[in-house]
Order: sequence, then C-alpha cells, then structure tokens
Amino acid sequence: MVIPSSLKNCFQLFYALKIPAAGFKCIASSGLILQSVSNDVYQNLAVEDWIHDNMNLENRQVLFLWRNSPTVVIGRHQNPWQECNLKMMRKNNIKLARRRSGGGTVYHDLGNINLTFFTSKKKYERMENLKLVVRALKALQPQLAVCATERYDLLLNGKFKISGTAAKLGRTAAYHHCTVLCSADRFLLSSVLKSPYKGIKSNATPSMPALVKNLSEEDPTLTCEKIMDAVAAEYAICHQTDHPIVLINPSDETVFPGINNKTKELQTWDWIYGKTPKFSISTCFNIVYNQSLLEVKVDIHVKHGRIELCNIDLPEQWLPPTMCNELEKNLIGSKFCPSETTALASTLLRTCPQNYELLTKWSLLCENVLTLM
Amino acid sequence: FAHSQVKCHFFLKYQVCFILARKFTDKHEWISVENGIGTVGISNFAQEALGDVVYCGLPEIGTKLTKQEEFGALESVKAASELYSPLTGEVTDINTALADNPGLVNKSCYEDGWLIKMTVDNPSELDELMSEDAYEKFIKSIED
Repeated sequence: MVIPSSLKNCFQLFYALKIPAAGFKCIASSGLILQSVSNDVYQNLAVEDWIHDNMNLENRQVLFLWRNSPTVVIGRHQNPWQECNLKMMRKNNIKLARRRSGGGTVYHDLGNINLTFFTSKKKYERMENLKLVVRALKALQPQLAVCATERYDLLLNGKFKISGTAAKLGRTAAYHHCTVLCSADRFLLSSVLKSPYKGIKSNATPSMPALVKNLSEEDPTLTCEKIMDAVAAEYAICHQTDHPIVLINPSDETVFPGINNKTKELQTWDWIYGKTPKFSISTCFNIVYNQSLLEVKVDIHVKHGRIELCNIDLPEQWLPPTMCNELEKNLIGSKFCPSETTALASTLLRTCPQNYELLTKWSLLCENVLTLM
Repeated sequence: FAHSQVKCHFFLKYQVCFILARKFTDKHEWISVENGIGTVGISNFAQEALGDVVYCGLPEIGTKLTKQEEFGALESVKAASELYSPLTGEVTDINTALADNPGLVNKSCYEDGWLIKMTVDNPSELDELMSEDAYEKFIKSIED
C-alpha cells in the first residue's frame, strides 16, 4: 500500500527533476519510481510526454505507475472507428484517448495497471522490462505461469493475454509502457473493443484481438495495489535504489512546468480523431418509410478526421436531389463526428421546404448517416 | 566537336556523382540533393534496428520544416520512432507508395523506400551532415 502523498515526497521529486543529473550523484545513478495520484488518462499521458521531453535520461531511469478511470486508448496510428464502439463509449461515459506510442487499442479502468519505463534510447530494452514484471508477479504468487512472447505480450497459462506493450522512441529518450490486467471489467472491455462500423478501408495499424484474463481471476488475493508495489520493489532492486515510490500530481505546474498545455493538447478533437490516417467508408443502410424498405448506399472519405468526399446514393423520387446534394455539400469539410453533423443537419432543416413528408424523410436520412460516426 | 562532347560528358558525370552523394544525420536519416531538391529516407542501420515497418506517418506537402524538427514517425513492432528533418526546407513530395507498402522502408531504404522530398533552404546546412564514410564510423562508435 502506498502511503498518501507527503510534502517530503513532492520536495524530493522537485529536486530530482530540477537538479541536473551530474550534480546530484545519489539520484543520478539510481532509478526513480513515480506514481500518479490522478486517474485521468490525459493527465497521465501528459506526464509521459513531459518526462520524455524534459528529463535528462542519460544517467537516470524512471518507472511511472498509473491507472485510469474507464477509457479506451488507441495507438498513435490507429483509427478509432475501426477499433472500438464509439457509440457505446459515449453512452457509458468511457473516454477515448490517443497515445503517442505505437501498438494497438486497450481498455483501461482502475483494474488495469499501466507501467511506463523511461530510459535513454540506448538503454531501451522492452524484454528486460517485461522480465522484471514477470519476476514481480512471481514474487507475489510463485505459482503464476506468466511468460513474455515475441510480440512483447505477457501470457498467463500460455493463452490469456494479461499485458500488452507499446513504445515511443524520440531523439535521445525512449519509453516503453505496458498494461497489467488485474481486475478490469471484462464485459465492458470486450464490448467496447468491438467496432460496429462496417465498410471501413484504411491503412491504419490494426489491433490484434486476444483472449484476456484478469490476474485476480487466477488468484483472488492479487490486487492492483499489491502488483504495483511488487513491480516497484523489483525495479528498486534492479536499479539499486532505496527511494520509495514518489506520488505525483500531474496538474502541478511547479513540478512539471507546462504540463497543463500538454494535457489540453491530448484532449483536443484534432489529436484524438484528427490524427486518424486517411480512410473511407463504403456501406449501405436501410431506411423504412411508409412500410417500404429503401437501401441507401454511402461513400465517405475522411482525412484528418474531416469529410473530404461524400456520396449518398438515393432514388430521385424518394427525396429531391437538391436536398440530398445540399447535405453532401455541407458535410464536406465538416468533422466526421455526430455532434457536428447533428448541428449541421438541424441548421439545414430550417432551410428545407416545410413539407411534413420531406422533413420526415430528411430526418431519417440524417439519423442514418449519424450511425456511421 | 568530339572533344567538347567528352568534356561535357565528364562534367555531367562528375556533377551527378557529386550531387547525389548521400549525407547522414546522427539520428540515422539520409538526404541526397538533386537540382535543389533533397530526398530524405532512413539508413540501413536504422531500418534494421526498427524491424518491420507497418506504418509511415508522413507530413503534408507544403509543411515547412527546420533542421532537426520532428516531421513524422515510423511504426514497427508496436514502437513509434520519431523522424527528424536533416535540413531546413519545405516538403515538396511524399512517397505515397508507402501508404500501401510501408515495408519498402525495410526492403529498399535508399531507393524505393524514400520518405519525403524537400527544398534545401540553407545549402550550408548540408556541410554539417556526415558523409557515408563518416556515418559508417559513427555507427561503429555507437555499437561499441
């Protein structure tokens, strides 16, 4: 169990971060273990960015422990529409975040631990970090059958994934982060990581679905707190440090100058959705109107998260082509997102002919276009 | 007539060889300049270290870069590696073949797997980069 933040801890970190490595031998030569007091994914990802950008990691290694409230985190070059159920996430208040590292999509909640290993680019060694995690788990429960794979996953009993890896390599610094699945909501995990969207064509890096299991299902005595403490203890042994875990507050500008701007950037639509590699959706949906079924084909191209091209294929007699064209024309350049499209549709609605039948058809069409987002 | 043709041929050959020599950064990018436009890629050492490239995140044409500025990232085996511009200039072209075939970076890092083309705004910056020989020595020094 981690002792709640004390002034002493914060003070110590302040010096560890501020004083150049060369001038502070005892800290410089040892590892630093940080744990976030925040469960906000954007704040925690900002800590990673801050350490990566600002800390001199030539002679120092850092382990950062963090957990998030329910969130889906996608890799740097991924497509969220392809990876998860955005509609379900909006309904259940599950956040979406994009990391700066590569790799696939993961579901986070307080039962899934994140470990970030910061080193210089030269000392970056993912397998060593994973071996450290395995040793920590075995120290807690020697009977656990956990091993690392070639793809840097940790498998339990040879088949259940309990940990996934991603990494970022910068100019001189690098970090490797991995998850450890202890007691996450497995039902939510598997339902939000299933995309309901059809007909997406994209070069974005796809995730590899895997069977997962919580460590607490294997051994009910295991908790996130115990696992984090065990990993910290193993890290301390490996890096000859007797420093305790230092609790950090990721919104504290006195410790991390400029961090709140980093947090804000990670929350922007342009980063989360706008960084999606160019993609297209070619699909069709059925509209039922007056007991007759109509098939509508749509073709939408999205670049930087914005609609670049839009074709809606509708029979002329069903809706006047001018109305359909107006919708297509207005969608181009707008964000591929339901709130912007809803706003756009309701603005256009006011310019429509005030004819009940046309308005109903128009609304049905807009509703269906929204289901693609 | 014959004499001048030989002379001209010699001159062209010399100039082409001279201009196309690749220069390297310590971040393992290379650049070769022809008619004022530099072609940028990553070195064989870098592509071997990365492993199979699965995605190339490249900038838009028209992006203005300064020397050493981050201009994109290559993803391989779950790792995103940042790319750094060897010179100051503007992106004039990107290798669109990499969208469908990012593995070209591994298969042909000096030819078909180039990343971007850019203008050379300060030709003197080229002098600060390493020649192929110097780069080979640099790699040896970091491997030891």
